[in-house]
Amino acid sequence: MKLKWMTIAGPAVVLAILFYMSRPAKSYLFEGSGSGTTFTSTAWSPSSFPIQWSINPARSAAIVGNATVTNVIINSFATWEKAPNTALAVASPSTSTINNDQVPNGVNLVCFVCTGSSLDFSNTDGTLALTLTSSTSNGQITQADIFFNPSPGISGQPGCFVTDGVPAGGNPCPATTPATVPQDLQTVATHEIGHFFGLDHSVITRAVMYPFAPTELTTLSYDDVAAISFLNPKSTPDVATGTISGTVTNGASGVFGAHVFANSNSSADPYAALPNTFSPVRKSPIGTLTFPNGTYQISGLPPDSYVVIAEPLDGPVTNSNVDWASAWGQTSVQSNFTTRWH
Amino acid sequence: MSKKPALIFAALLIAACLVSATTVIPLSLEQLTRASTHVIEGKALETWSKWNDSHSFILTYTRFEVQRALKGQAPSTVVVHQLGGKVDGVTQKVSGVHLWNSGEKAVLFLRPGQIRDGSFVVTGLIQGNFQMMKSDKGDIRVSNGVPDASAYKVKRSQLTTFRGSAVTLQELESRVQKAAKQ
Repeated sequence: MKLKWMTIAGPAVVLAILFYMSRPAKSYLFEGSGSGTTFTSTAWSPSSFPIQWSINPARSAAIVGNATVTNVIINSFATWEKAPNTALAVASPSTSTINNDQVPNGVNLVCFVCTGSSLDFSNTDGTLALTLTSSTSNGQITQADIFFNPSPGISGQPGCFVTDGVPAGGNPCPATTPATVPQDLQTVATHEIGHFFGLDHSVITRAVMYPFAPTELTTLSYDDVAAISFLNPKSTPDVATGTISGTVTNGASGVFGAHVFANSNSSADPYAALPNTFSPVRKSPIGTLTFPNGTYQISGLPPDSYVVIAEPLDGPVTNSNVDWASAWGQTSVQSNFTTRWH
Repeated sequence: MSKKPALIFAALLIAACLVSATTVIPLSLEQLTRASTHVIEGKALETWSKWNDSHSFILTYTRFEVQRALKGQAPSTVVVHQLGGKVDGVTQKVSGVHLWNSGEKAVLFLRPGQIRDGSFVVTGLIQGNFQMMKSDKGDIRVSNGVPDASAYKVKRSQLTTFRGSAVTLQELESRVQKAAKQ
């Protein structure tokens, strides 16, 4: 165990670097609620596994491609299920005919044709998909449903989902003027399934849970793995991980909601040595936001050497993209400081 | 302060500019205006949550005092409903959907909801909700959290970049009012 403390004047970052320690108490951006110095994340109980889910395989007119939607969603679930250090299990899907917003309790539905006044999808406002999770007061997820907009698009520009990848430079969507940008169904599904498992958006650009992603992004990043393995840890991790913790202060006060992330400054890639029974993992920074008292813990860090950066959440991801402030009963995170790194 | 971390940070910012949306297609202010029947600056007065008629979804309603209408004829208050909320010990959540607290101010792009109770919904699920904040310079900035969207200038046939996190309230008002007249 290595311990190092650093302090700088002005807006300051105090870091405690503890490698190879046992599982951390808390970290990352999860759905949930905070009080005092405790954050209760929403997650599926281990007794829920394997999670039974249902799919209405009916396609809306907005879906093109030869691959079945069921296979695309199965593959998207598998990406998370096979993440290193993660104990997740989902069952084979059952088939559903639900095509509205009246989903019975306990049904974890994936639907491409669901409509209804509560969902209120529009074909002109750019909404592609949403995931609705239900949880109990103690933070246990009891249901999650994923709805894809049956008629995505913006005014005068219909959208479309592609089931078998978007060819480089090609547009398999029905021809429209002006042409719409096709959306890779597995990319959207992989992101939504992260929400299904209780993850909030990430501030890390290369993460699947980043609120805005490239046209095609179906593999997890280090940040995604750190988050999902924290919520659903394996009893014996595939790769040992450690934690960086500390406090971000501005003068004598802790800074709430500062984005703190650890960025490797080496070429090490500890997950690359895992067999291909695991999901491939892309190297990325791993980050979190600070608690109201300015403290933070970045857990799930594979062995490596890191630069730690604290920055305000002032773009491209902002307070509007994450639920961190409202989870703590506050309107906004603090962003009245400048970037610092160590 | 070494140069290396600075370069890393710069690279992250550059990379962040190259992205587009997954769960939503980014809309420009002009597109949001066209897709909305009403655009208002408002202050949240009260909120309440309830199950929908089929008891499958929780909806949270917020009554806004209309401080300024930028598009459409708005009464002194409007009610907006969103998916999610807490009722009977059950919490439902849609990631990215921000439920307002009393006293919060926002610029809202709205359209009538399909639930026929007179309430509105936010255009684009999350995109039509611009949180207001005061910048270090003292001006009011607004953001819907969408980093990049193109604004199409018809006359010049030009695409310009819209950055949600860098728009002043004044610029938003000007562009909305201009788009509403087109």
